[in-house]
Amino acid sequence: MENRQPAYQPPADSTFRRRGRHRTAAVRTALAGSASVLALLLAGCGAGAGVAGAGEGSGEKVEGGTLRYAHLQEPPCIYGGWVQQAFLSRQVLDSLVSQTDDGKIVPWLAKSWSVSDDQKTWTFKLKDGVKFTDGTPVDAKAIADNFDYWAAGGNGTVQAHIGEYYKSAKAVDAGTVEIALKAPFTPLLSALSQGYFGIQSPTALKERTDQQNCEAPIGSGPFTVGAWKRGESVTFEKNPAYNSAPENARHQGPAYVDNIVWSFVQDNTSRFGSLASGESDAIGEVPTVDFEAAKSQYQVQQYITPGRPVTLSLNTVKGPFTDKLVRQAFAYSADRKAAVDSAFLGVVPFEGNGTVSQSTPGYNKDVVDDYPFDQAKANELLDKAGWTERNADGVRVKDGKELTIDLVFGLNSIVTTEGATALQNLQEQVKPVGFKVNLVPVTQADLFSGAYSTPDKYDATLGYWTSPHAGILYINFRQNTKAKPNYANTTFYNNAAIEKTILKANSAKTTEEANKYYAQAQQALSDEAVAVGLYTQTSSLAVQPKLKDVWLEASQGEPVFHDAYFTK
Amino acid sequence: MTTTTLTPKTNPASGPQARTSPAAWLRAVPLAPAVSAAVVLFFVIAAIAPQLLTHRDPFAIDLANALQPPGLAHPFGTDQSGRDLYTRVVYGARESLLIGLGATGLAIGIAVILGVASGLGGRLLDGVVSRGLEVLFAFPVLLLAMLFVTIYGPSVTTQIVAVGLGTAPGYARMIRGQVLAVRHSGYVEAAHALGHSRWTVLRQHVFPNAMRPLVAVVTLGIGQSIVWASGLAFLGLGVAPPSPEWGALLDAGRMFITRAWWLEVMPGLAIVAIALAATSLGHFIQKKLEGAQS
Repeated sequence: MENRQPAYQPPADSTFRRRGRHRTAAVRTALAGSASVLALLLAGCGAGAGVAGAGEGSGEKVEGGTLRYAHLQEPPCIYGGWVQQAFLSRQVLDSLVSQTDDGKIVPWLAKSWSVSDDQKTWTFKLKDGVKFTDGTPVDAKAIADNFDYWAAGGNGTVQAHIGEYYKSAKAVDAGTVEIALKAPFTPLLSALSQGYFGIQSPTALKERTDQQNCEAPIGSGPFTVGAWKRGESVTFEKNPAYNSAPENARHQGPAYVDNIVWSFVQDNTSRFGSLASGESDAIGEVPTVDFEAAKSQYQVQQYITPGRPVTLSLNTVKGPFTDKLVRQAFAYSADRKAAVDSAFLGVVPFEGNGTVSQSTPGYNKDVVDDYPFDQAKANELLDKAGWTERNADGVRVKDGKELTIDLVFGLNSIVTTEGATALQNLQEQVKPVGFKVNLVPVTQADLFSGAYSTPDKYDATLGYWTSPHAGILYINFRQNTKAKPNYANTTFYNNAAIEKTILKANSAKTTEEANKYYAQAQQALSDEAVAVGLYTQTSSLAVQPKLKDVWLEASQGEPVFHDAYFTK
Repeated sequence: MTTTTLTPKTNPASGPQARTSPAAWLRAVPLAPAVSAAVVLFFVIAAIAPQLLTHRDPFAIDLANALQPPGLAHPFGTDQSGRDLYTRVVYGARESLLIGLGATGLAIGIAVILGVASGLGGRLLDGVVSRGLEVLFAFPVLLLAMLFVTIYGPSVTTQIVAVGLGTAPGYARMIRGQVLAVRHSGYVEAAHALGHSRWTVLRQHVFPNAMRPLVAVVTLGIGQSIVWASGLAFLGLGVAPPSPEWGALLDAGRMFITRAWWLEVMPGLAIVAIALAATSLGHFIQKKLEGAQS
């Protein structure tokens, strides 16, 4: 279920994020915003909160304590293939490698690695003396077992990333594991840095039920899963023996806080209010309407999620969007940037590229302006496509059929209320051109059941998919054939030539070469107008001044609490 | 005491009212029902012909003027997409009133059948219906309604049915009580003694007398139903945005409560106004009917 519809997010290797190389003006603004916030905050703490000095780590450190964090969404399970699950599992599982803010891959459970000349065999050397919290060792055998577990279907999103490339894993000796691929896969390390690739105790995987492993995965991470009160909160307990923090962590050794109470507060106003009332030490997904206020009172961070942005996938096999002219007309007919800027109050950047987001290495920024707001052009294209008549409401008609677009979206699961507002803006904007858009919000349960995933269920659907590398193109546009179905292809667009370009990128010798082909594929997909970009997925944090060193990791924007500590 | 007494001010020369002092005039006019009737009239017009009350389109966006506070151009302000809130409240009256009337109508319909059957149907039927109603009573209205909406999905129809079903048990029990009371009244016994058929007695005496108090209750119920329906919409179980249904407006404005108070206050006032007006009219009618009876 996770790789169907709009999946989520990851990060990856090289550029994206706050310090990404490819930034548009919007991102720059957002970035500048968050940077200045940090500066503000730091200054603010010193002055306001009675902390002795200003700046991180300069307040008097208090060991221990309970960190209360309020999060927007509660996934059905802790381990899984949805980014919302990675947010949780990141607290208890370590991965082989980690990614830094500037896109570098650094050691985590693996202390070093190398790749064979044909780029088909990767060898990872593991840190010594690392144990899972059930006491079993994190050795080469355990890593190999995890790869096999994923390959056997243990995680649909892992499958989506490396399933087509993974061949086998074997323990060479206790500290060395070898991963064999069917073909070179350039973004491998980037993919491995995501939360879905968290390493679990093979003993636990084998001896416990799927349900147990899903609800309380056992890893070697800084915390373990404690009580989960459904609909309320999950408690994470500190792992006192933690000795395997990634190289980019701010300290090695066990976490400073004793535990985390991670509560689920879906209501934006309540979640933000919990900071003001002191009920929360930190919150995720700062409501856009409160963003400015948050910046003046708390430490605020924003992460622009790499991968597929929040984009409209147009159904290319059924309905009006089977015609490329109609797809292009639709893209031209809305002032999407205005729709997004207004709905998100300028907090979340517009993304004109419908296939890859601006924080992703290999992002092609040239396609952003392929379809500017131009209703004359849209009208021309629709006339050309034969939608020449209009009914009394101004909706275009062809052969007695209205130009109606059923736009299905997962409200509150994939699309926030601000996103829904952007859609309402778009709905109005395209009216003069003669499009009638029906907005169809569906529940998380309906969405993930796959009830809306087939071509007869929508003309357009809104979704994102986090990925730290532009190989997301392969996930979303690998052809969907009987022999090799691809449920993540939400446009149902099959194009052998584009798939070939993407494959070339996946197996390129260098990241630069890979990104060149990824850029080509983005252009080709943009020419076909199969996906219309709207805005980027984001993660954000607002943290009380007395709590220091909470950070958003770079692969998917998960909050990291291992380094967090309170100050007096 | 009808509202027609309100008109004289424009014509000071005519009629005896013209010479009475303003205070006496005010005393003579039942102010609350008059105001209530005006409010109800306003929203009825809004529901039937909203274009008479506003020239704007309730869905038209104006991104440059998003989140404008109430002012001359926009008496109720604008929402996050720059839509005129006054226009949206006016257009929202149709769905809100439809839900209020529909839900109350449905509830009364079910209640009449169950109540009359229970009141007249003999001990066994009464027992079955009454126990059934007691079970339904055990569930709060909102819970019943939410259950229904969850199963059948949010729409105007499901909201009507959900609120209707949720409120029906209360009415049913009241009607049963009325039927029982009337059934044992002196005039019904007299009618029986005079040899009228059972059916005639039921039709001419029991039914009209048992139903009379309902007129007032219905008016009260409409206001109540609008509040329930808005509550459902507020919880995200109502009509989907960008519908201007009042509960949906409240839900959409919730996020902005710290920044744009009018998004909550204006639709909230509309709900309060119609619920108060309907209730006040209900009380008035109830009193009149009691007066007529005595």
